[in-house]
Amino acid sequence: MARLRRCKLIAIGLLGVLTIAPATLARAVTPEEINQKLQALEDEIKNLKQQLEAVKAAPAPAPPPVPAAPGTPAAPPAPADSTQATQLTPQSPAPTTTANRDIFGLLPSPLEGLRIGMYGEFKFGKAQNPDANGQWQLAADVTRVVLMPSYQFTDSIFLYSEIEVEHGGIAGDEDDKSNGAVEVEQAWVDFKINPYFNIRSPGIDLIPVGYTNLYHEPTLFYSVNRPTLANGLVPTTWFQPAMSVYGKVVENLNYQVQVSASLEDFGNGIQETPDNNRVPPFPQGYAPGISGKEALVFAKAPNGDFRQLSNVLATAARLSYTPPFIPGLAGSTSLYYTPNTTPRGAYSDTGLPLHHSSLTMVDTEFRYRVPETGFEFRAEYVGIFFGNNRNLRANNDSDPTNNVGRAMYGMSGEIAYHQPLGRALGTEWELVPFYRYTYQNLQTGGYRGSDLNGPTGSGQQQIQTMGFAVFPGKKLVLKLTYENVIDRQSGGCKCDYVLGGVGFYFN
Amino acid sequence: MDWVRLAAPAAVVLVTAPAAYANRYLTVEEAQRLAFPEATQFVEAHIVFRPADVAAIERLSGQRVRTRGQQVWKAMGAGRLLGFFVVDYVIGKHAVIDYSVALELDGRVKAVEVLEYREAYGSEITSHSWLHQFDGKTSRDPVTIDKDVRNISGATLSSQHVTEGVKRILAFYETCLR
Repeated sequence: MARLRRCKLIAIGLLGVLTIAPATLARAVTPEEINQKLQALEDEIKNLKQQLEAVKAAPAPAPPPVPAAPGTPAAPPAPADSTQATQLTPQSPAPTTTANRDIFGLLPSPLEGLRIGMYGEFKFGKAQNPDANGQWQLAADVTRVVLMPSYQFTDSIFLYSEIEVEHGGIAGDEDDKSNGAVEVEQAWVDFKINPYFNIRSPGIDLIPVGYTNLYHEPTLFYSVNRPTLANGLVPTTWFQPAMSVYGKVVENLNYQVQVSASLEDFGNGIQETPDNNRVPPFPQGYAPGISGKEALVFAKAPNGDFRQLSNVLATAARLSYTPPFIPGLAGSTSLYYTPNTTPRGAYSDTGLPLHHSSLTMVDTEFRYRVPETGFEFRAEYVGIFFGNNRNLRANNDSDPTNNVGRAMYGMSGEIAYHQPLGRALGTEWELVPFYRYTYQNLQTGGYRGSDLNGPTGSGQQQIQTMGFAVFPGKKLVLKLTYENVIDRQSGGCKCDYVLGGVGFYFN
Repeated sequence: MDWVRLAAPAAVVLVTAPAAYANRYLTVEEAQRLAFPEATQFVEAHIVFRPADVAAIERLSGQRVRTRGQQVWKAMGAGRLLGFFVVDYVIGKHAVIDYSVALELDGRVKAVEVLEYREAYGSEITSHSWLHQFDGKTSRDPVTIDKDVRNISGATLSSQHVTEGVKRILAFYETCLR
């Protein structure tokens, strides 16, 4: 009996130890804590239930989006349940994938961010050849085909370039006979800081003077050839090693300030430039870059191979405006200044050195489309002023017919009318007849230099240009133009033409 | 030193210029609030196009549809639908232009805003005097440059492509939102 009681006591003791010991090891839990824990568990279960219901209610997820290129929106998410209201939250735009057509607007780009556009023009017809006593000759020219590759590194860094093949390219052999050019017309990188200030890297860039030099694609003017003022006074397409800053001054007023390699009064080709980057030594002679016959056509500095003949930098500034109080009006005013156009080693045909001559160019122009009518008006003035024309090569090259006065200038006015023709072949057609009057004087008074002065009057011209442009859509243009040139030389200019043209531009 | 004198103005501008995101004129939220100041919520209602949608939009607008869908928000106020807010993009001359079109319930354009403009030239299209031309346009209007929308010479491609984009959005409304 005693033994049995002893066993019971031991068992009770063991049970007590087993039950009490853990309780004594852990802290005693209060009822409040238990309630709190139960409440937390209940909330957790409720939350999980809600999430489960939301998952059951949501539609099947869309396929994962293609990663977006910088600046290019990427794929949309699956349509959200429109009954689920969402609070206003800051968010980036949901991406939207593109059906990639970044190559000429037709084909997918192999590299995201890369785009390639293209423009070009062909001309054909009949033109007087002044070197053949004005004989009317059949004429054709694959004037240019230009590729425009661009690449968006980021939303704020952008590369743009233009690679141009002019006049059929280059092929000197007997069966091809192409005497054109292949050149880089533009190549620069833009760093977009904010709407008021952006930086364009050093590169090859258009000089910001006038309208046509910046906007010279064939769908942007109505004559087959570019406007006359843009062919000599402003030597379009005028592109040089340059760097610039640009942006907005205020709404509807933009600026660009550029520093570039200066114009050079040296008219020979690069092959005739000695390796020391000076003009050919006396008495070999060289052609003028600035003349009373061609204005500035041959004065552009070389763009490659470190072959510039001058240390001088030119500065250009342009303001462009679209005043909101005159709807339909756009215009610009540009100023170009170089302290010296005289190249290294310049000399007159008498052997005397030619010294500094600055050049200042002013261009102002406007384009006005009368609202709710088809009428369009354009006008432009270009003035060039020489600091010391005594030192210009044209006034010292033994040629009395190409001398330059103190200034050159030109002005033009154009009227056009836009007439819709209706829809055909999948696009809207438009007819634009136009008339342009141009006067330019490349040989004003104030000549100075060692040459005899005998201008022929070829530098004083009145030009009447008329015709029409037909636009099958906005990317293509068919043109027909007649141009009549009257100058003051004996027998006249003999350089009229009747030309047709095809121009295109797409990206 | 000449280079210091030449670089100093640019340096000053760089340091003091607003640290805004490069040429971002408006965020989506700012444009939403501008278009629908009375709205309290913007509900995402993005749409993925079906082939029939693409065909209908292209037929109505005459413009190619380049995206697989459209970003749309429903502007809600006091529990009722006020209108639609659409974000779209077009290519200007070389770079992408992000813009938005706010639509009334009946499909009229309430406001067009340029959100981000990356081109070097042609930023005149961000001016309100030009963008206000779209106010009140419907899918029955031409919405065409030199017809009922003024071109900006010097921003020809940007103004043309944004105009085409708005026309396409109006066709999208007729096809998918009406």
